[in-house]
Amino acid sequence: MPGYGEDPEWSDIVPLPQDDGGPNPLAAIAYSDEYSEAMSYLRAVMAKNEFSERVLRLTEDIIDMNPAHYTVWLYRAKALFTLHKDLRKEFDWLNPFALRHLKNYQIWHHRHTIIEALASDLDEKSPKIDNMIREEQDFLDRMFTKDAKNYHVWSYRQWLVERFNLWDCEEEREAVDDLLRKDVRNNSAWNHRYYVVFGRPNAPKNTTEGHVLMQREINYAEAAIRIAPQNQSPWNYIRGILSHFQQPLSNIKSLASEFASLEKPDEVKSSHALDLLAEIYKEERQLDCAGKAWDLLAQKYDPIRSRYWMWKKEQLGTAAA
Amino acid sequence: MVDRFWVRQESLSAPFTLPALYTSLPPLRDSLVTESSRLLDQTAAECMPYLTLTKFKTRDLNSHGLQKLRRARHIEFANDSLEELPGYMVVLDASRPWMGYWGIAALSMLRVDLVEEGYRERTVDTFRACQNESGGFGGGHGQYSHLACSYAAVLSLVAVGGEAAYETIDRRAMWRWLGRMKQPDGGFTVCEGAEEDVRGAFCAMVLCSLLNLPLELPPEEMDRVGGDGTLLSGLGEWISRCQTFEGGLSDAPNHEAHGAYAFCALGCLCILGPPHETIPRYLNVDNLLSWLSHRQAVPEGGFAGRTNKLVDGCYSHWDGGCWALVEAALASRGFGGSSSLDSLWDREGLLRYILCCAQNEWGGLRDKPSKNPDGYHTCYNLAGLSWAQNYHVWNAEKEDIDMTAPLSAPFSWSTTEKPDLPCDEEDRVAPMHPIYVIPHEKATEARNYFLNRVGF
Repeated sequence: MPGYGEDPEWSDIVPLPQDDGGPNPLAAIAYSDEYSEAMSYLRAVMAKNEFSERVLRLTEDIIDMNPAHYTVWLYRAKALFTLHKDLRKEFDWLNPFALRHLKNYQIWHHRHTIIEALASDLDEKSPKIDNMIREEQDFLDRMFTKDAKNYHVWSYRQWLVERFNLWDCEEEREAVDDLLRKDVRNNSAWNHRYYVVFGRPNAPKNTTEGHVLMQREINYAEAAIRIAPQNQSPWNYIRGILSHFQQPLSNIKSLASEFASLEKPDEVKSSHALDLLAEIYKEERQLDCAGKAWDLLAQKYDPIRSRYWMWKKEQLGTAAA
Repeated sequence: MVDRFWVRQESLSAPFTLPALYTSLPPLRDSLVTESSRLLDQTAAECMPYLTLTKFKTRDLNSHGLQKLRRARHIEFANDSLEELPGYMVVLDASRPWMGYWGIAALSMLRVDLVEEGYRERTVDTFRACQNESGGFGGGHGQYSHLACSYAAVLSLVAVGGEAAYETIDRRAMWRWLGRMKQPDGGFTVCEGAEEDVRGAFCAMVLCSLLNLPLELPPEEMDRVGGDGTLLSGLGEWISRCQTFEGGLSDAPNHEAHGAYAFCALGCLCILGPPHETIPRYLNVDNLLSWLSHRQAVPEGGFAGRTNKLVDGCYSHWDGGCWALVEAALASRGFGGSSSLDSLWDREGLLRYILCCAQNEWGGLRDKPSKNPDGYHTCYNLAGLSWAQNYHVWNAEKEDIDMTAPLSAPFSWSTTEKPDLPCDEEDRVAPMHPIYVIPHEKATEARNYFLNRVGF
């Protein structure tokens, strides 16, 4: 392919060469001629605010050489909108691109922008919306088979839930279930579950419905704890739930006691259970027992955090005073 | 084999006892194997030979038996990272301000005189070319202004210091641009048309406080943003919404708690006011402490970014920096006073990880032993070393600066050396400002310059 300089289609453009900043700039890059030339044409078209078919091709070319170039992504989105392009076609190259560049995050903002624009042109009840959501969910599931903890993909998935009201969508909880069945320690999946169940606007609190939900989720986390009690994710999940419903931690004292007990200090199975037990003792004003549990963590079960456990014990004195 | 035997022989003869705490797997481990536990175990196994010192020769060790800080080689690495980069590094083309900042900050921590080494002029020239007339700095010439790039640009200029560097910054245009980034819900987008996240909020507050920008919104943004009509409007509340059920903070409300975003959130709150006031006002401190404590990895001693994720040298800064800010916030609860504790986290553990696992033998620091060093990990491991080696306290009485102006709180921090660590004087890096991650006096000098400057 000839360069832009030899291409008659671009003959009207005077390229704008890069100013790296002085004779000895910091961390300048020895660009390839192709990249350098493409960027000079981009600067020139941006300076005159041109949005055209050739600009779309130019942005694609640059993104291909440098997918982390946020300016090019944003300019491309503007061009797509200005030219009223069929946005669904954007996914034809975007999807394989995302699967090739797993760590790239500009792509997820771009996707968000495109889906938002597509959706705002459709009636909320249109079956086309349902189709689009299903395609998105399928694509995200594919992404998660490659990297199940990708922060930007999970953030995008949360936006999708909120934007399209997927709070009661079975696929959302199933997708999380699937990932947790594969790896019960996937904290991103736990976070998403929490969001889907409790993050909705007006999530039920202290109603009968709320309590049914609370019990269902506690049971879910309990089952996860039983297969790996030292996994912190489900413990955090349960504590989050109780706090959401403003319930005392003593609700789950029997669960904590299953994995940690002061009577059997040599048989503790989970440091998270032992900390929870200490918090429950504190709630019950059994401060001596709480202190003993934290001592046990500091000295035996979790010594890297000994100062933190000692701090918690010290703070009991402040609470008593 | 021969080589390996020789190294072992020599290290066996070293008269150091290895503390079990830093060389043993956690006492409680589940038998169930999943992808997460497989990677966690693999990482522990990868680090173990470094933690037990079998990788080092006696001459590599300091007087406490840890690998020495390879200062001269890290300086060389940081200098090189600021020279022309090869073409395959083109993916960094939108991150050149970051490369500049990481290099400049690393050299500052390694106590290099930036002006003497000619960095002032180069820094000014480089960032002049990244600044846009419509305000802010982009990733390079002709790139849109971005809050992260503006953050890196301004911190680099402030770190080299001097009138020419300060005057490079078009503050009036910066202020107007920040007004356009401000959102009605209290947060900031990182770039026009881009995402809103806590990096944006933190970077915006760093710019406002160092450059002493007006806090009123530019008049053209008043109606769109609403609130009390300032850049601070609803900001603390927005940060509150980023605290998750785990106690840590995420990049935006409801996302997963993450060390780097937690640092941005805490840094932002510590610019809004004194740490012991703003942190408890907007966050549940007990939940935060629980989450932050659990990020320290066993047996590696370094930090991970999220629950059940792997230790990585960059979190030496992100999580370690959170500790610097959080410990100061606990002063009102007796920490540093009536408490018998001098620290709430294991500083020696982090020190061991950085010195033994994160240093590349030929210079530069890294994520973990199997990874190559780079500018990002070099800067943030060195910063982590500074958080481990120093105490950071907030103290209202400061004589070198006017504390009555808005956003003065970040200029009241002081740093004292923590004794009794297994490192020698040569292993210590320079004290850094816990919010700006440049030397204290550089931040103060810039603030004073802009406080005394008449008009924009």
